Amino acid sequence: MKLSTLAAIALTLGVSTWANADWSQTQNEAKGQTVYFNAWGGSEATNAYIAWAAKEAKARFGIDVRHVKITDTAEAVKRVQTEVSAGRTTDGSIDLMWVNGENFRNLKNGGLLFGPWAQSLPNWGLVDLNKPVRTDFSVSTDGYESPWGTAQLTFIADSAKTPTPPRSAADLLAFAKANPGRVSYPKPPDFHGTTFVKQMLLELTPNKAVLQQPVISAAFATATQPLWAYLDQLHPSLWRNGKTFPASAAEMHRMLGDGELKMSITFNPNEAANLIASKQLPASAYSFGFTSGTIGNVHFVAIPVNAHAKAGAQVFANFLLSAEAQTRKADITVWGDGTVLDISKLPSASQALIRKAAPGALAEAVPTLPEPHASWVEALEADWLKRYGSR
Amino acid sequence: MLNIKNLTISHAEKSLFSALSLVVDQGEVVTLTGVSGSGKSTLLNWMIGDLDPNFSAAGELWLNNVRCDTLPIEARHIGLLFQDDLLFPHLSVGQNLAFALPATIRDTKVRRQRVEQTLSNIGLVGFHDRDPATLSGGQRARVSLLRTLLAEPLALLLDEPFSKLDAMLRTQFRAFVFEQIERQDIPTLLVTHDPADVPQGGRVIEISDWQHNHV
Amino acid sequence: MAQALRLALERALPQAPSSRPGLPWQWLAALSVMLIFGPLLPGLYWALSPALNATVWQALWLDAQWPQALRSTLISSVLGTLLACGVAALLATLHYPGRLWGGLQRRLPLLLSVPHAAFAVGLFFLIAPSGWLARVIAHFSQWSSPPEWVTVQDPYGLSLALALAIKESWFLLWVLAAVLGEQVVSRQMVMARSLGYSRTQSWRLILWPQLLPRMMWPVMAVFAYGLSVVDMAIILGPGTPPTLAVLIWRWLTDPDPALQARGSAASIILLIVLLTCVLAVRGLLWLMKRHQPYPAGQRKPTASRRWLKLHTPLFLVGYAVVAVLLLWSVAQEWFFPALLPDALSLESWHQADWAPFWTTLWLAIAASLLCLPAVLVWLEWGPKRLNALLYLPLIVPALPLVAGQYATLLHLHLDGTAVALVWSHLLWVLPYMVLTLIGPYRAFDLRLMTSARALGYSPWHACLHVKWPILLRPILATLAVGFAVSVAQYLPTLFAGGGRFVTVTTEAVALSAGGNRRVLAVQALLQIALPIAAFGLAAFAAYWLGRHRKGLR
Repeated sequence: MKLSTLAAIALTLGVSTWANADWSQTQNEAKGQTVYFNAWGGSEATNAYIAWAAKEAKARFGIDVRHVKITDTAEAVKRVQTEVSAGRTTDGSIDLMWVNGENFRNLKNGGLLFGPWAQSLPNWGLVDLNKPVRTDFSVSTDGYESPWGTAQLTFIADSAKTPTPPRSAADLLAFAKANPGRVSYPKPPDFHGTTFVKQMLLELTPNKAVLQQPVISAAFATATQPLWAYLDQLHPSLWRNGKTFPASAAEMHRMLGDGELKMSITFNPNEAANLIASKQLPASAYSFGFTSGTIGNVHFVAIPVNAHAKAGAQVFANFLLSAEAQTRKADITVWGDGTVLDISKLPSASQALIRKAAPGALAEAVPTLPEPHASWVEALEADWLKRYGSR
Repeated sequence: MLNIKNLTISHAEKSLFSALSLVVDQGEVVTLTGVSGSGKSTLLNWMIGDLDPNFSAAGELWLNNVRCDTLPIEARHIGLLFQDDLLFPHLSVGQNLAFALPATIRDTKVRRQRVEQTLSNIGLVGFHDRDPATLSGGQRARVSLLRTLLAEPLALLLDEPFSKLDAMLRTQFRAFVFEQIERQDIPTLLVTHDPADVPQGGRVIEISDWQHNHV
Repeated sequence: MAQALRLALERALPQAPSSRPGLPWQWLAALSVMLIFGPLLPGLYWALSPALNATVWQALWLDAQWPQALRSTLISSVLGTLLACGVAALLATLHYPGRLWGGLQRRLPLLLSVPHAAFAVGLFFLIAPSGWLARVIAHFSQWSSPPEWVTVQDPYGLSLALALAIKESWFLLWVLAAVLGEQVVSRQMVMARSLGYSRTQSWRLILWPQLLPRMMWPVMAVFAYGLSVVDMAIILGPGTPPTLAVLIWRWLTDPDPALQARGSAASIILLIVLLTCVLAVRGLLWLMKRHQPYPAGQRKPTASRRWLKLHTPLFLVGYAVVAVLLLWSVAQEWFFPALLPDALSLESWHQADWAPFWTTLWLAIAASLLCLPAVLVWLEWGPKRLNALLYLPLIVPALPLVAGQYATLLHLHLDGTAVALVWSHLLWVLPYMVLTLIGPYRAFDLRLMTSARALGYSPWHACLHVKWPILLRPILATLAVGFAVSVAQYLPTLFAGGGRFVTVTTEAVALSAGGNRRVLAVQALLQIALPIAAFGLAAFAAYWLGRHRKGLR
């Protein structure tokens, strides 16, 4: 064997033992810590899963994970910002947060994240690097956040009332006009609403490449002009004439169940299956996407720079990345959130579980469109609020 | 003439008194005595029309040959005087009296004149615009009585009106009350437990005469 | 002779109760109240001072949301308060005095213990386009989809006004009932009627002129609540833009200092609105008093309108709200337009998250138990003239106060701790407890205390062994009231708890934005159950502890 190869092997072994020693130290430090995990709490399936993960973490690693339910990750970002600017640099109230997109970008640019740590997690080796796990809305993660799951914008409808759903922006406009007052989307800055707006933008904008670059005001105006024209046409046919919007996707699910709306929206292709199982949607509900594809992304967990229980947070994040946790997460009967792991590296039983289908879940293959650059989010939200935020 | 016919008041199956009958003539002052809690005030409440819903009553009340017990309080024309003067605190002394004046006296100026005259009759000249709270106990008692009498009642009920006054004031006010009643010539029922309150030659009734169960 | 004996006793005692109380006791009373109110003052300064900047006001002016936010706030609070007053006044005029009034009074405490958030949730389930009322109509008119009504979250805040009107009318009726229960007032009614005036006239000429000034502060408290309510506004109020209170809350919790300052500025607007209203009402009352016409003596007999059973729909709404919550909590599938759930099960109850319930329970117990000594010491030895200060948290909109508390806690690095949470609740629990206890306390026969002192007890021992045991029933009721107030708190839990503590109230409001109505119904019912249990326990304890002492019950 060549010397360089031997050296490489030795180095890797050495590094990994050193890394392993490092990791055992982290695990020891984590024992007994309380980790405040700030995560969106708008879905019961998600909350139930996090509760399970917390229980496992307690049993296996001795960490007390508390799920702090938030409605908008921006709130958690704000909290970290306030705390750090108030001088609270070691005893922050958030230890781990569920984050992606513009929120991540704000935290990273503000130097508010601890790290890098994501790639030193033992389970990083299982991650599927073909998925966009190292860039978040075109912003490089640099190991400041650890991937957790995948998401894709999906629509839900009731086959009893809507046998043929709209499959493009133009379709949607026609559908809304044919069913006035029965279509809507959540109000931005709710992330479902923002993503809906981004989805429409992706379809209608003349030059898609511009969206992957940081936003410049001149480019913004030209890129979004067709979007606002479209929304101006769409809004009068929407629920309540587009003067008010549902507060969240969960509310839209409820309205879909009652027939008040004909379509609902979610980031989880398996959400409809969960809702049918918990009797919040009739059994005739189904998921669908647009023919040209819908926006998909990877969501992450990150540790604020002033987190108190950094070790505990890392241990928990590592557990979330483990084969067992990811498989259970992808299980349609539990949550159905897509895994970030390379499926081929998982045992066959897990693979079968991940591939299982359930009634109501997204059955067709919908192409995934990449997210625009993180900076577009705030610009879009601000402009939307200015135009439609108050009547 | 005030006539109570066969009155029985009971509270939860137990009767307070039964088959009470009483006739009071014009200008007569009948005194009703009895120990505390024997039902004197309840009787007055029934007569005025304000019987507590927890009590039930059977009997008739006639005033000047008109049946009263089926009428509401405001239609009975029976005047009432409590131990507390109960002058309306948000009205001045004069307004309190004017409140009681019948509507037949129309013009505001005439009404005011009448009230001022009444006040001067009882020795309270210039008290028209005074706040009732600034008057002494005796003054308030006098105004209160006059207010009741100005409404021109056809009968008068007095529920221990002197008990809150001290000895000297008591004698004075008592004489004043009986004088006014004589002038008005209306039947009066006086409830008291002080035997000194009984007017000269007045009839005294014991409520226990109609009570079979002794307290 | 009795007087002479009393004078002799007072001279013989080293310190008669009627003279100035011992200095240490006064200090203790002041200290306990200062602990609750004191830290608020610098907090208010920190919270509101950023607004003393012209640029902040300029930014507020330019913000597109405030005109409609202010409009919906004003409509909901003014309309809600006026309706509540009107309904309460109408019911009182129609039914007092009378047999119906007693029955009305007895049913009020049960309805009053339904907290605001739970009531809003239940009302939402009733009147929403997919709510129960719509389903009843759909039953008859063959609708297949919910109607396009704008009954909840309407842009003018009318549904919020309705909810406030109904809920606060019960409160105002209760206050009125307490005042009308006073013998002086009831006898004045009899006196006026014996002079020949009908009930309606007696109300108009004698009772209302006296009661209106006394009702002014409860009505202002209702108005202040409506201005600053956030939990009901989130559930029933408009969304785009929300009411000013919700907007302020969002701004105040934003990390961007510019938005925080904007929130402070808007809080000051709320205070100004309240102040304007108070002055306007006082002015109106003063004008009314000045232009009182000379009594003309007109007696107008009015036909009895008691058959107009207006109280029935009012109380029916309360029962319907609880009923629909109960139905939702045991429902399985219940889509529009089904009138009743397709299947019933206790699954929602089994799967319910009981953690918020326990948090609320210990928090409310801690708050009411901590407040009780403070209340007793204050009522016994505190300066009586300063009572009005204690009632301030009831009349001032809650948002600036909560912001002040939060600012103080941030500076002390105590936010998010249990201590901070309990402390923040005390600011509202204390005034309500004082309000409840002050009547019976003042009505206490002081001669009992004199007797105890004459037997050789010190003031402290006399209170401990004589006064407070005799006041057992009012004290237990006060504890129950403090408990209920703590359960219903929303903003203090959110701010001071730093998002770490979840109570049934915060959970119910958070769930109301979601889709699972069953879970929401369970939490709302838990929120209702707690105060009812507290009142029931207090009543039972009062009965049981006084079972051999008729004079205590």
